[in-house]
Parts: sequence; C-alpha cells; structure tokens
Amino acid sequence: MRYVKWTFWGLVWLLLAGWLHYTLPQHDIVRITDTYSKRIDFGENSIFWATADVGTDGTSVNRDVFFIQAKRADDRIMVYRNEDTGWGWPPYFKFDTANLQAEAGDLKSTAADPQWAVVRHYGWRNEYLTIFPNAVEVWPVEGPDVRIIPWFNIVLLTFLAALIWGVRVRWIRFRMKRIDPVIEDVEEAFDAAGDSISGTTSRLGRFFKRK
Amino acid sequence: MIALVRLVVFGFLFLSVVYLGISIYSRSVRRGKLKLQWDEEKREGDRSAFIREGMEAYERSLRHKLILLVYIIPVIVIGTIIYITNYT
Repeated sequence: MRYVKWTFWGLVWLLLAGWLHYTLPQHDIVRITDTYSKRIDFGENSIFWATADVGTDGTSVNRDVFFIQAKRADDRIMVYRNEDTGWGWPPYFKFDTANLQAEAGDLKSTAADPQWAVVRHYGWRNEYLTIFPNAVEVWPVEGPDVRIIPWFNIVLLTFLAALIWGVRVRWIRFRMKRIDPVIEDVEEAFDAAGDSISGTTSRLGRFFKRK
Repeated sequence: MIALVRLVVFGFLFLSVVYLGISIYSRSVRRGKLKLQWDEEKREGDRSAFIREGMEAYERSLRHKLILLVYIIPVIVIGTIIYITNYT
C-alpha cells in the first residue's frame, strides 16, 4: 500500500516538474545559422505548437511557422520555432514574432566569424514528436561563455515552493486537529464492537453447548 | 481579438472569485477582532451595535479598499510582461 502511495505522489511530482520544465523560460547561448519558414500540418503533436499570429485566422489546420536554426556552444544543433503565444498559454504575451525573426536573421553568422546570441525559449525539442522549443527573445552577447542567471525562474520556483509548503503545513495541522481524532474514535468504536461480538459469540457458543 | 476578450472575461471571473474569498476572510477576521475587543474590555451597551459600527468603519478603511488590488496587480503584471517580451 505504501508503494502505491509513493508511486502516485512520485508521478504527481514528476508531472509537475515536467510541466514546469516545459513552460518556464530557459536560455541558450547559440550561434544562429539560418532562419526559414515552413508550412506545418498539425497532427498528434498539435498541443506542442502555439497559436497563429495574433489577428490572423486561428482556425486553419496548417500554417506557415518561422524557424531559427542554431548551433549551441557545445557544437550541438538546436532548431527553434518562432510563434506568437498571443493572449493564450503560456503567458509570455508574445506578439512580435515577425520582428523576432528579423532580429534573428540579423544575427546569422558562420563558424569562421561567429556571432553569439542568447535565445530565451520555452518548450522541448523532441525529434520523435517533431516538436521545437519556442524562441521568445534573442539578443547578441560577446561570447559563448557568458553567464546567464535565470532570475525569473528563481523567483517563481521559490514562490511556488513556499506556497506548496504553506499548504502542506496547514493540511497537516488540519488533519491532526480534525481528522485524526475522528479516526481514533472510529477505531475505538470498532474495537468495542469487536469485543462485544466476541462476547456474543462466546455467549452463543455456551448457549448452544448447553443445548 | 476574441482571445483577448476571452482572457478578459475569464480573468475577471477568476479574479472576482479571489476578491470575494479574500474579502470574506478579511471581514471575518475583523469581526472576530471586534468581538474579542468587546469581550476583553467588558464594555457596556449593545454588543451587536458595536460590532456593526466597527464593521462599517472597516468598510470605509484603507485595508478594505486595498483588496481591490487583486484586480489591478495582474493587469500591471501582464502589461510588464508585454513590454519586456515585445519591446526589449
């Protein structure tokens, strides 16, 4: 029974951590190699794509999506998409997709003459689902070793941890004050009933034996 | 624009629920303090009138009006996010 409880809570935390990892912003230091636009038909992976540009028709099953190709500082490739999140979720309120694409295009460089940039993004890259992280901001930096401190994530996660801790403390207090005494009363009632039943059984037994 | 309307409508509904919750909690705390004050000071006269006047004074107070910040702060936060995301 304990394993069931642990598995359940473990899954809950895993889901929460995964969701946070997907939604919160991360920063990559990359060298942008190319930008392009491609028609995407949304299929099974449609929840991993954002909205059409704010103001355009949002109901079509396919649309052109901007992409930004980049090479990370450790020579690994990363491809970002560049879509409006608009007024929806996640609440980045990103409306300037076309501008961002222009900025990214301006920062293109070759390996011989690299121009490093930081890409703030959210989301995951998964080749098997063909999903891409959504670039939210791009700005140039001096080199691949610049240190980026994720202030927003730090503040938000601390606040979330404090909230969860507060709820947990209050739940435990509530349980100790209200629920445990009731459970003890119920257990005592069961014990008393059990005693009286065994008393009855022995009386019944004696009754039948007498007969 | 429909997405903005949706955000505003649902945001207003949700914030109204939060506002009501905080308002009711704050009022009950205030009422409890008034009752405690009356019982401790062992005043004479009408207890319920004292509590009623205390609650009316509370409704005129700054604290009661500060709860309206529940509506204002998310708007400011969203405005800041829009500025940071789109204009920097």
